[in-house]
Amino acid sequence: MASNSSEIDHGNYVPVPVTEGIHVPDGGSYRKVFLNELPEKGFVVGKDASLDITVVMLPGHSAELPLTVDLMGEGSEVRLAGICLCKDEDQVTIDITMNHRSGHCKSQQIFNTLAAGASKSAFFGKIVVAPDAQKTEAYQENHNIVLSDEASVNTKPRLEIYADDVKCSHGATVGKLNEDEQFYMRSRGIPEEEAKVLQMISFVAPILTHVGDEDLDAAVEAAIRELA
Amino acid sequence: MSDIILKISGLHAKVAEKEILKGIDLEIRRGEIHAVMGPNGAGKSTLSSVLTGKPDYEVTEGSIEFLGQDLLAMKPEERAWAGMFMSFQYPIEIPGVSITNFMKTAINSRLKAEGKEPMKAGDFLKLMKEKMALVQMKPEFAKREVNVGFSGGEKKRNEIFQMAMLDPTLAILDETDSGLDVDALKIVADGVNALHTPDKAAIVITHYQKLLEYVRPDSVHVLKAGKIVATGGNELIDRIERYGFEQF
Repeated sequence: MASNSSEIDHGNYVPVPVTEGIHVPDGGSYRKVFLNELPEKGFVVGKDASLDITVVMLPGHSAELPLTVDLMGEGSEVRLAGICLCKDEDQVTIDITMNHRSGHCKSQQIFNTLAAGASKSAFFGKIVVAPDAQKTEAYQENHNIVLSDEASVNTKPRLEIYADDVKCSHGATVGKLNEDEQFYMRSRGIPEEEAKVLQMISFVAPILTHVGDEDLDAAVEAAIRELA
Repeated sequence: MSDIILKISGLHAKVAEKEILKGIDLEIRRGEIHAVMGPNGAGKSTLSSVLTGKPDYEVTEGSIEFLGQDLLAMKPEERAWAGMFMSFQYPIEIPGVSITNFMKTAINSRLKAEGKEPMKAGDFLKLMKEKMALVQMKPEFAKREVNVGFSGGEKKRNEIFQMAMLDPTLAILDETDSGLDVDALKIVADGVNALHTPDKAAIVITHYQKLLEYVRPDSVHVLKAGKIVATGGNELIDRIERYGFEQF
């Protein structure tokens, strides 16, 4: 079961108040991996700063994870990434709001979910580009692989772009593990379950490679084996 | 050790409710190379799919024995462990999985199934290097994602490289010559010939005689409308070249 919808809103910009969040000062950088949680407060990013957040949700954890990022000054970069591994009755909702309030900033989001069992996972990703936030680059990707008939996935990108000189894109996919790949691997002597594990690891690899932490790689691989 | 590697008896198979194979008998002994030729739609791909255990292909009658075991009761991976290998007509791309990781997992899975220890990293890399050289694959391919962005010729060479790594008793080459230029064809054929030893066998499934100029079969079968309609030696290849498949 899957649904996917998106809308581009060119209506009147109504600025919402800036989040009471963790401040990344001008020129500063903040990089962190969160396991099974995200900070309750959002992030307020100054100019020429960088924010690099990765969240990993392991199986057996349910959570609502709202995250707002306010880009307040020019020249900043934000990367938000996440892996959700859901099984059984897990319910995980990731709800991102990326506020480009200032121009010349770049934001990137990549969230990949593997949904097994009777889990319910959702990704809501909003990008708001203020009227004077020209030269904004904002990208968002959410990919989902559904591993069982009972699992459900909901993905909803939403772009609100009020500036005219911007580069923005979003991509959302929902699919299953590719059976031709599995047969090819099995024909070389890789057992079906191991073939699925390889596929799932490669699905989350772009996020893990960016972090570059062997302990995290091992934890994710072990969790993926629970889903296979 | 029995001389018979593969024994197909009265094989009928269907896919999507359509009967494609209508009674195939074929016996392959150690040291032999068999060519299976036939026009499009004859059932050549169905035969290779049934042999390798591709899902969705249903055997309705008959049996296949592989090295004395009931092949049809075995999973695709078990067939590989027992010594069967197919070079795919259309090799599959596996994004995110490197050739090294792919081959390491394949070889160690078989060793595990045999109750043996995984291969030592150094030995594995040495084997990779040696077998890549056999099909003239550049060393940097080891890190490439399996078949992703490969040209037609590179994909086929990668198939023969994998065959060399896995060292099968029975190699099935499914339209390995399709999409190959003469140079690539020669590299592939040289690889196949180098791997062929008196205790092994190969089935070369093809539509054209091109590959068979380099890999000489002991026996040639013509598959047409789901049946083997003629069996002979190399003279059959010339007959097909001259008169086509219409004559059968």
